[in-house]
Amino acid sequence: MNDVLAAVLEALAVLTYVALNAFVLIWLERKIAGHIQRRIGPLRVGGPGGSLQSLADGIKLFSKEDFRPGGRDGIIWWLAPLVSMTPAVMVFIAIPFGQHLIIHDMNIGLIYITSITSFGLLGVFMAGWGSNNKYSLLGAMRAGAQLFSYEIPAILSTIGVVLAAGSLSLETIVAKQSAHWFLFPQILGFIVFYVAILAETNRTPFDLAEAESELVGGYFTEYSGIRWAMFPFAEYGTLFTGCALATTLFLGGWHGPLFLPGWVWFLIKTYILVFIAMWIRWTLPRVRIDQLMDLGWKFLIPLSLINILGTGAYIALVR
Amino acid sequence: MSLPRTVWNTVKSLVVGHAVTAREIATRPITVFYPEEKPEFPTGSRSVPVLKVNEESGYINCTSCGLCERTCPPGCIEITQAVDPATNKKKPWPHLYTLDLSHCMVCNLCVEACPFDALEMLDVPELATYQVQDLKFHKEQLLDLWKTGKAIRIAEGQPMPSK
Ligand code: SF4
Ligand code: SF4
Repeated sequence: MNDVLAAVLEALAVLTYVALNAFVLIWLERKIAGHIQRRIGPLRVGGPGGSLQSLADGIKLFSKEDFRPGGRDGIIWWLAPLVSMTPAVMVFIAIPFGQHLIIHDMNIGLIYITSITSFGLLGVFMAGWGSNNKYSLLGAMRAGAQLFSYEIPAILSTIGVVLAAGSLSLETIVAKQSAHWFLFPQILGFIVFYVAILAETNRTPFDLAEAESELVGGYFTEYSGIRWAMFPFAEYGTLFTGCALATTLFLGGWHGPLFLPGWVWFLIKTYILVFIAMWIRWTLPRVRIDQLMDLGWKFLIPLSLINILGTGAYIALVR
Repeated sequence: MSLPRTVWNTVKSLVVGHAVTAREIATRPITVFYPEEKPEFPTGSRSVPVLKVNEESGYINCTSCGLCERTCPPGCIEITQAVDPATNKKKPWPHLYTLDLSHCMVCNLCVEACPFDALEMLDVPELATYQVQDLKFHKEQLLDLWKTGKAIRIAEGQPMPSK
């Protein structure tokens, strides 16, 4: 009984955090976009700087008509937003926010996360197929190609860290970084990993799957209201977990030089990475599909292999 | 292009591009929080033509010559000349002067046509209403409007002295 209660509470805590996080990130993204374009961004709703804008948007999305496209593939169309959102939420379980601030420390935490995040692709593809719309399907095809090709460098780039730490448990990986972060010995891995998570979250310059100018809305063209909202929700959740994972693997997780609580350090580092991702989004133009594939297969994968080779050689020869 | 060169160009353009956007974040936005905060209009900006009050006589300069009415391309201006009821003679001022701003295109032609310096372009653009009829302004309303703005004579490029 207690186990069930604990699980329910954990799930509630995670869901609340994911929702709050998405609200804050969406507001932040719009603010940053505004200031980069020398606008002021949302300003009217709520406290300073329109900080409750996302809440107002959420209420609006809830009250919108639940539009269903004709000729849709009923159950697949209906399930797709859930399938793409669930992995984004599930990943939070294995992320160590602080020394003992982790919901479940698994000894295969990294494998758990990488395997769960690849389920997001399923949701995207279901949305594209179920909508009975050429734009959706094209967007989903692109997303499929993109996620497949960037999953590989993302996983390969973490292997260097795993070799250095000698563990797949994220708690242990962070604990191993108390003296020095893995960022510098693993700088290649970090770059590859960061680019790969940008691509996996479908953000500009890799937002081919939802390229507004050519595909209307990509795979979620046919969704509206709160069903639609689940896709950006999942996207921002994945962005956060991607950056949190980068912090855990390369930036020393909860370790920090000053006497702040560990989770504060963790969140600071993660949100800096999130900010950089947003900065990149509003700076770079979208790449072409062939450039995207070239970058993934001809550049990131060899780079991550070199990284593994280097780390392996170092461990074999020096230790 | 060779690989090192490609990599170098990529890195260089990434750094330069992000420096540009970082600078934009740091500079002050050019848009404002509109109704609460008003933007500054550049000198010479104009909204709609209004009738001007002669500073000396205290009344409008218009002599009801009808040139503006004939000049206006969309035909927004409608003038009825004043008539002395006793003698039935025409008077040199308008009885009715109606400007339908709903289709005024702010071309400034009426101001240029007026030989008596009776019209002026207003610089207050906030004239939106819910009813299109409300955009039909009469003589008195135009005078009131004129008082709200700090109108500018385009020909001289200088603001009028304060009213
Ligand atoms: S500004 Fe142009 S359109 Fe407007 S009243 Fe004058 S002549 Fe007509
Ligand atoms: S041109 Fe000038 S003087 Fe003549 S009717 Fe128009 S506003 Fe009056």
